[in-house]
Amino acid sequence: MKRDQVARRLAAILAVTSIIGACSSAGASTAPTAAAQASAAAASQAAPSVAPASAAATAAASTGAASAAALSAGSYKIGYSNAAGVGNGFREEQVCTAKAQWKAYGGSPSALTVIHRNTDAAGQASDIRSLIAKGVNAIVFNPNDPSALNPALAEAHSAGIVTVSVDSYVTDPNTWNLYNNQVMYAELGAKWLFEQLGGKGTVWYTRGLAGNPADDDRNEGFQTVLKQYPGIKVVPNDQGVFTGWDPATTTRITNDFIQSGQYDKINGIWASGMGKQIVDAIKAAGKKYVPIADADIGGFVNQLLDTKDFPGLTGAAVSNTAAVGGAGITLALKLLNHQPVQADPNAGHPNTVLLTPQILDNTTAQGRADLQKWVSVPGLNALWPLSLSIPGWTTYDPNTVPATCSGG
Amino acid sequence: MTALAVTTRRHNPDLAEWARRDSWTIGLMVLLALLLGFTKLIQPNYGAFGIQGLGISIMPLAFAAVAQAIVVIAGGIDLSIGSMMALTSVVAATQMEGQSGTFGVAVVAGVLLLGIALGALNGALVVATRVPDIIVTLATSFVWAGLALLVTAAPGGAAAPWLMSLTTGAFLSDWLPKAAIVLVVIVAAIWIPLSRSRLGVSLYAVGSDQLAAFRSGVAIGRTKVIAYAIAGLFGGLAGLSLTASTGIGTPVPGPYTLQSVAAVVLGGVSLAGGRGGVFGPLVAVIVLQLIQNDTTFLGIDPNYALVVQGVILVGVLILGSLLESRRAG
Repeated sequence: MKRDQVARRLAAILAVTSIIGACSSAGASTAPTAAAQASAAAASQAAPSVAPASAAATAAASTGAASAAALSAGSYKIGYSNAAGVGNGFREEQVCTAKAQWKAYGGSPSALTVIHRNTDAAGQASDIRSLIAKGVNAIVFNPNDPSALNPALAEAHSAGIVTVSVDSYVTDPNTWNLYNNQVMYAELGAKWLFEQLGGKGTVWYTRGLAGNPADDDRNEGFQTVLKQYPGIKVVPNDQGVFTGWDPATTTRITNDFIQSGQYDKINGIWASGMGKQIVDAIKAAGKKYVPIADADIGGFVNQLLDTKDFPGLTGAAVSNTAAVGGAGITLALKLLNHQPVQADPNAGHPNTVLLTPQILDNTTAQGRADLQKWVSVPGLNALWPLSLSIPGWTTYDPNTVPATCSGG
Repeated sequence: MTALAVTTRRHNPDLAEWARRDSWTIGLMVLLALLLGFTKLIQPNYGAFGIQGLGISIMPLAFAAVAQAIVVIAGGIDLSIGSMMALTSVVAATQMEGQSGTFGVAVVAGVLLLGIALGALNGALVVATRVPDIIVTLATSFVWAGLALLVTAAPGGAAAPWLMSLTTGAFLSDWLPKAAIVLVVIVAAIWIPLSRSRLGVSLYAVGSDQLAAFRSGVAIGRTKVIAYAIAGLFGGLAGLSLTASTGIGTPVPGPYTLQSVAAVVLGGVSLAGGRGGVFGPLVAVIVLQLIQNDTTFLGIDPNYALVVQGVILVGVLILGSLLESRRAG
């Protein structure tokens, strides 16, 4: 009897510690989605003298140009919900860019309510309902599920609230979606890599998280390009190997790959955001580098630029910007101000803005200089995505973003 | 407290006696009233809509807390409730997808039976192996979670429209969320007859003092298995309410197991067993959710809600053991 009581006490203490511990626990893997700048160049050439605020209206990703009216926070109140991946670099940076963009529009911190915690889809629906009860004008959110939030979103619409889904889409017909074009992310990296190999050779195909929508999209893009290069062979098989976007898993998989001798037979690597871990493992094994295409994660880009510690490393980084948070704020304000927003007809979902990724490599002086610009933001965590600006969608100074993360 | 004491208590209608006996629940209701007042203060337009949102939000955890309360009253603890919710939720969502509303009724019935079976299995393992409840249910939590992932690896499925409409909106008045009515009606329909039955008295007796209960002729093993089975039924209801409120099933368990323990402790159910009811934990769930909402209204980091909830829980445990030691001394 007594021992049972002790056991129950222990259970209660366990409950307390776990609840508190949940604060700091990193969330489940989250799509290192996002990406972005590319057609930036085109947009800024078309309107070289636009002021930052109106540059926001010259949509880089969406096909048509929008109105040039400057946006401002005015007296609007915005709610922001991110319900997974607390501690994950992409998700953290995404929330920071939302705060930075709100600040750039002159919004007061108290008018932007951020609910950034780990919970399930039902919990996120609850957060959205809290924001409705708070009386916000718009809700920007990174959805935990494509359809589970629909009832809560419908309630938001009947309360006259604008809703914007970032980083992934929802099926609610009245919500706008804004996310990185993941099909193109894969295409850009794969094309660069296959060209590097002269269209001939064996490529190790390392993927993200099985079943994740971003991973599915990337696979679609990879397969499309693969068909155009009949001389390219993919190992371990056409469907690749999953890293789960987990650094420890990636290191283990890479070590196994090297020790089994398979690494010696490949000519290139396509990666989905875990390039740093792969390169580290190759270096630790003392092997010669092969060309690698990955994402714009700080650690990886620094390896590409570090010719002293990583001699002979050739690679390309495709942007997968976490600035979708800031872009979501811009989209919400545009919708609140009844500015026209062009939906992408090829997105596969209505009311959807797809952001175009950009690719930079370290094979040319220009590429190296551009990569250097990415890593120039002081105080940015090495595991976070680097491209902080989305021309046409963010107007803040990227240097202000790290400070936004630590402050209010 | 023996079975006898429980029986005599219920036949005493004296108001003062009620206040003394349920002082914890009364204190909790005062806390809830204060919190509601505070919420209205910081969010002046908090009203019918806020209450409706609250009704939907508390539903899954409320059923989980009732499940946990029943097991704890009977002297056990169920750490598999969160996983049970995930499993029943994905089974419901995958079976209802593309089917008619009528078939949905059959699915609901089947899922509730599944919940009862899972719970009964927990209870049978506890009784048969004599391994502590906490270990058995921790182990089965992994089994249920694994099975949920086998049913569907990614969130998906669908819910029958009638099931979803049970949880959204209001009934009669804007201030009466449908979800809350459904919750109260179901809990009352099961708990009130149960607690007044011989079985209900046995639950308290077993949780309070197994030896005394055994000497009074209570079948300990059978009572425990039934307690876990009823908890399984409520676990199934909790899983169904997840499916009903989101329209999908998610195979990865939410934070419900430990929150249910928190609600039970805050709700005045003694972790030593034999004391408390399901009303206190229900009020506690509302309190916990309202604290979460208030962080939104105040615009502070929602993770403070976890800290506050944890601190309250520690406080309650310390208070509880102080009261107990005073009673003993």
